[in-house]
Amino acid sequence: MKKKQCIAMLLAGGQGSRLGKLTTNIAKPAVSFGGKYRIIDFGLSNCLSSGIDTVGILVQYKPLILNRYVGTGESWDMAVQDGGVHILPPYASETGGEWYEGTADAIYHNIDFIDMYEPENVLILSGDHIYKMDYNIMLTEHLDNNADLTVSVIEVPWEEASRFGIMSTDDEGRITKFAEKPKKPDSNLASMGIYIFKWKVLRKALLDDHDDEKSSHDFGKDVIPKMLADKKKLFVYRFRGYWRDVGTVKSYYDSQMDLMDDMEHINVFTKDQKVYSNSNFYPPQFIGPKANVSDSLICNGCTVYGSVSHSILGSGAIVGDGSVVEDSIVLPNAKIGRNCKVKNAIINEGYETEDNAEIGDPDGEVAVFGRAKLSI
Amino acid sequence: MKTIGLISANYSSSEFGELLENRSLASLPYGGRYRLIDFALSNMSNSGITTVGVIAPYDSGSLIDHIGIGSPWSLGRKSGGLFVMPGSAYGLQSVGSRFLLRDLIKSRRFFERDDADYVILASSTDVWNIDFGPVISQHEESGSPITMIYKKIPKGEDYYGYFLDIDEEGKVKSINTEGYAWSNYFTDCFIVDREYMIDFMKWYETLEYMDTVQIIRDNMDTMNIDTYEFKGYLGKIKNPVDFIKVNQDMTDYDIRNEVFCNIERPIFTKAQDEAPVFHYKEADVRNSLISAGCRIEGKVENSIIFRSVNVGKGAVIKNSVIMMHGEVGDGAVLNNVIADKYVSITDGVKIYGTKDAPVVLGKDKKI
Repeated sequence: MKKKQCIAMLLAGGQGSRLGKLTTNIAKPAVSFGGKYRIIDFGLSNCLSSGIDTVGILVQYKPLILNRYVGTGESWDMAVQDGGVHILPPYASETGGEWYEGTADAIYHNIDFIDMYEPENVLILSGDHIYKMDYNIMLTEHLDNNADLTVSVIEVPWEEASRFGIMSTDDEGRITKFAEKPKKPDSNLASMGIYIFKWKVLRKALLDDHDDEKSSHDFGKDVIPKMLADKKKLFVYRFRGYWRDVGTVKSYYDSQMDLMDDMEHINVFTKDQKVYSNSNFYPPQFIGPKANVSDSLICNGCTVYGSVSHSILGSGAIVGDGSVVEDSIVLPNAKIGRNCKVKNAIINEGYETEDNAEIGDPDGEVAVFGRAKLSI
Repeated sequence: MKTIGLISANYSSSEFGELLENRSLASLPYGGRYRLIDFALSNMSNSGITTVGVIAPYDSGSLIDHIGIGSPWSLGRKSGGLFVMPGSAYGLQSVGSRFLLRDLIKSRRFFERDDADYVILASSTDVWNIDFGPVISQHEESGSPITMIYKKIPKGEDYYGYFLDIDEEGKVKSINTEGYAWSNYFTDCFIVDREYMIDFMKWYETLEYMDTVQIIRDNMDTMNIDTYEFKGYLGKIKNPVDFIKVNQDMTDYDIRNEVFCNIERPIFTKAQDEAPVFHYKEADVRNSLISAGCRIEGKVENSIIFRSVNVGKGAVIKNSVIMMHGEVGDGAVLNNVIADKYVSITDGVKIYGTKDAPVVLGKDKKI
């Protein structure tokens, strides 16, 4: 088998507890996004458009929908002979079984997997970010700098900088300081949680980290500060574009509305760096004789009899006769009955409302309604 | 009992003009994102048939491009799977039935190498969703070597093809073409004992230029043929007028639910991956099917819009079928129009067909 220049490890095991009901029974990377997508589509599609055909997906929290959704990776053109997607759950060994304890620990437990491909570099990704990025450009910089680690960073407003892992750099972009959620930040370059490591360097760092009893086995908290202290060559790669960590219900809602309101942000209609999904077996949407749909994104499989404005309807969603849906996101296969009023609401996947229901606070915060129903 | 399937796609029609210039009827786009052959393939796949032969038409490019190795229908398999077999150079023109004996004889190996008990033969251009399971069971119990599937239609309805005269025991007495007098319409689909079919091909080898059902009709007195009644929706398309109508049938709640929204028997097709449809503020869509990737700023009524079609501001589309990648300019008006792939309509252009004579715009046309 050919040796790989770079393979990707996609961290998809987190619960995303701040997303509340959205992640009650679905891992955050598998949460529906933008109607027909799931959050992990963005990372996987970025890999495809960057020519990375080997991806390990580290799963742990409620992975059933995620596993099924990713499947063989065919939807992202990754059903290839010498690579492809690999779902990597925690597994038992001679000394017993252990859960992944942190981001670095998850990779540590899969050292053998990475060794199988003998890559020069390993790209570490989060499975829960919304962005389009060509990792090749980052990889080229990483190679040009002969860096041990390149961290993708994005400029954030100074007042928000204390919420992020902040990198300070010299003029060449070499990282001089790393501060996790600093009270008084001296830079506004925030880590996006996207790293390219030289595999040899990372491999050693992971073994050391595993032996360190004080470590919480996290890249941001432990591994990267240690590498910095060891005078390894750490560089930043500045990403300029739309990037969101949809960590809260509000940011989850806002970034989907961004996708609809301003296609400059993350245009899913463009053919270059296309975002792919695995939700393509629905018939075309049907818009009924008395329906009224405006300023909205509607997916295949939807049936609309009522009125929908400034909203997103996920694949297979149904809006009954006489219902009004405004400023809302209806997730795949949810069903709004007849004569309902839905405003500022996120209706969970597969959830069915009663007829005449009034859902959402017209003047208040956006909230999630219903428990997701698992189905295929 | 093991059943395999054979789909005949080797026939064409001159009634569709430019729509069939470079493609077979079997690969005619339909229903917003499908090709007609998807129904035959999905019906087989959903009925647990895992070995399916397709007799390809002469102009097979678009069909082969569409069906590939059959993975959307779970037919990309190690055991069995999809077999595409070349049809003979002169396929059938639009006649009663679609099984040229010469094509079956050419595909003899398909029948011989399998150990299945039965073969379902189906045409490739009907819009329907049928579970062959009960057909197979009934056929097995009947003891007849052939069971023909029919649908009762109201007398006087304009169907073309064959009609079955059936006795009290459900056996075929005769097969007729004068449809208006009969109501048992043959669906162009039947199940036959595999070994009987092999014998049949030997017996009638000299009639290889004929359609198989025609041969059955002419030799009725020597055959014992059972019948199975199909009670669901059957959409037959023989010309552009039917094409628009059978497309519009899918805006009917019951028909759409039966054909497209049956969770146990979905219609599969080659996967495309387009963004959700964006309906702009000014969009006004009524009673229509819209496929992914479209951006709609105008008015769409009683129409079928395929994927990645842009409908400009103030444009009006009524009673029309617009295939993939169409561009309808601002203020353009289309009524009773069938636009093939990549048709582009300039701003303000108005095109009116009628219900009985829709305007057909060929692929890539710019107006």
